[in-house]
Amino acid sequence: MRDFLKQRRQNLITLLMLAPGLAGFFGLFFYPMLVTVALSLRPEGQSSGWTIENYVNFLNDPHGRDVILLTFTIAISATALSILFSIPLALILREKFRGHRFFRLLMIIPRVVPGLIGALGLMLLFGSRGWFNLFLIRFVPFIKGPIRVVHTLHGLIIFYLWLYFPFTCLTSLSALEALDPAVEEAAMVAGANRWQVLRHIVLPLIMPGVLAGSVLTFMACFGAFSVPLLTGGNYRPLSVTIYKQIEVFIPARWSTASAIAVIMAALQVAFLSLYMRILRRPMA
Amino acid sequence: MRLVRQYLQAILDARRIIIYTFLLSFFLFITMPFLMIFLKSVGKGWFGKLWLPPELTLDWYRWAVSIAHVPEVTKNTLIIAAMAVTMSTLIGIPTGWALGRRGIPGKELLMAMLLLPRMIPPISYALGIARIFYRLHLIDTHFGVALAHVAVCAPYAILVLSAAFEGLDERVLEAASVCGANAIRRFFHVILPLAMPGILSSMIFTFTTSYNEFTLTLMTYGPDTITLPVRTYLAVGEGYWEVTAAMSVILVIPSIIVLFLLQRQVAPEKLVGGFKGV
Repeated sequence: MRDFLKQRRQNLITLLMLAPGLAGFFGLFFYPMLVTVALSLRPEGQSSGWTIENYVNFLNDPHGRDVILLTFTIAISATALSILFSIPLALILREKFRGHRFFRLLMIIPRVVPGLIGALGLMLLFGSRGWFNLFLIRFVPFIKGPIRVVHTLHGLIIFYLWLYFPFTCLTSLSALEALDPAVEEAAMVAGANRWQVLRHIVLPLIMPGVLAGSVLTFMACFGAFSVPLLTGGNYRPLSVTIYKQIEVFIPARWSTASAIAVIMAALQVAFLSLYMRILRRPMA
Repeated sequence: MRLVRQYLQAILDARRIIIYTFLLSFFLFITMPFLMIFLKSVGKGWFGKLWLPPELTLDWYRWAVSIAHVPEVTKNTLIIAAMAVTMSTLIGIPTGWALGRRGIPGKELLMAMLLLPRMIPPISYALGIARIFYRLHLIDTHFGVALAHVAVCAPYAILVLSAAFEGLDERVLEAASVCGANAIRRFFHVILPLAMPGILSSMIFTFTTSYNEFTLTLMTYGPDTITLPVRTYLAVGEGYWEVTAAMSVILVIPSIIVLFLLQRQVAPEKLVGGFKGV
């Protein structure tokens, strides 16, 4: 009996300790999410009645489907590029050459400075009067005029890459560092050349880490808001489309915005679970 | 597959040259945007095909202070960040302790649940937060904006702190109780000092998150609670590129300080770590 009471008391204490976290979760995430869902089911501009019109309208609209496609296109391309960019970078930074600390610091800069500033700097750099275009016009033959990068699809992908590759890169690097050097040495001793070691030993072993990092990059790219808002121009992914419903229209179209937001959250969760399922499958 | 193979083979072949080119382009890719912002903020009459601004000036900084009210905006940002950090740490310490040290059935699931706000795009619950805060008159108050930030900061604090508490040595705590320290004494004299690096890194991460937070601020700010990121965004809309650049330089300085703190205090890898089980 005493033990039982003691156990109960302990459970109560645990619950009390969890309480602030749970309160934060339910008050600042779960309840707002419910409000968003409820809002999305109201007829536009009214506070009573139920309808699924907002969803139907957005999904039936060819423009709406374009927006979803655009969001996925940008997020997936940026994620794929981040993997292609991160693996060689991680392989280089693994060797502790002079100044490798500096490059590691450089790697996390995009995650530490506000995304807006990164976007602003990239816009200036890749703009029609930026150094990127000046360099191309000056030193690369056949290029006479500036190349449009800002307010284009490939521009957005480059900007996303700049902002979100650190997730992939840092996880690749820590996966590489967690690798037991004995494994590679064993392969070397067994007569494998550098390429074979890389292809058959290192890459398969770090791939789970790299892909786990790429999930983070994908999540960030999919939900990115400040960058496309500033640099997207007419390319508006889901997050910006949602915001425009509130900002541009008078009165604000809260219900439409909420419906798109719910669709976005659902797509994110669906894609993530799909991605995780693919990841869990053992690599061939 | 063949393409990947050739790509990697090429990297291995011309090792040195390729490594240096790669590192150089990486360096330029990361730093150039900042250099451009800096040049823009001190340049005057920089139009057309000029590599460098023809004249240097500090006018844009003066404009940033007098027209964009940067000092006031900085004050707002710091107050909000301080409130968000305090609240997140106060949430994170007990919850992190419970998750890290008290055996909870279904701990993994609970952790995944608490991290959900970082997986779902913030804009989707920011809409709900905005509606709720309108009703509670929390829009355009420092507390309200900070509270909205807690939605994304607290999961970070819980994650980092639970890892920090989990790493504490059980024997030290036992030794403290054997020596007759009660729970409160144990907490303040043993646990807190030992967990200090973890608490500090959690505070640094939450500070950075709040300082850079844009989506949730945009949905809850008002004329009295404009933060630096929002002010920068508004200035871009107003078309003052030079002033915006000057403000960005001001805005980036604390981030650079944080970067150095990060490097000294905690492994920067932690910035993304812990999410591996997502």
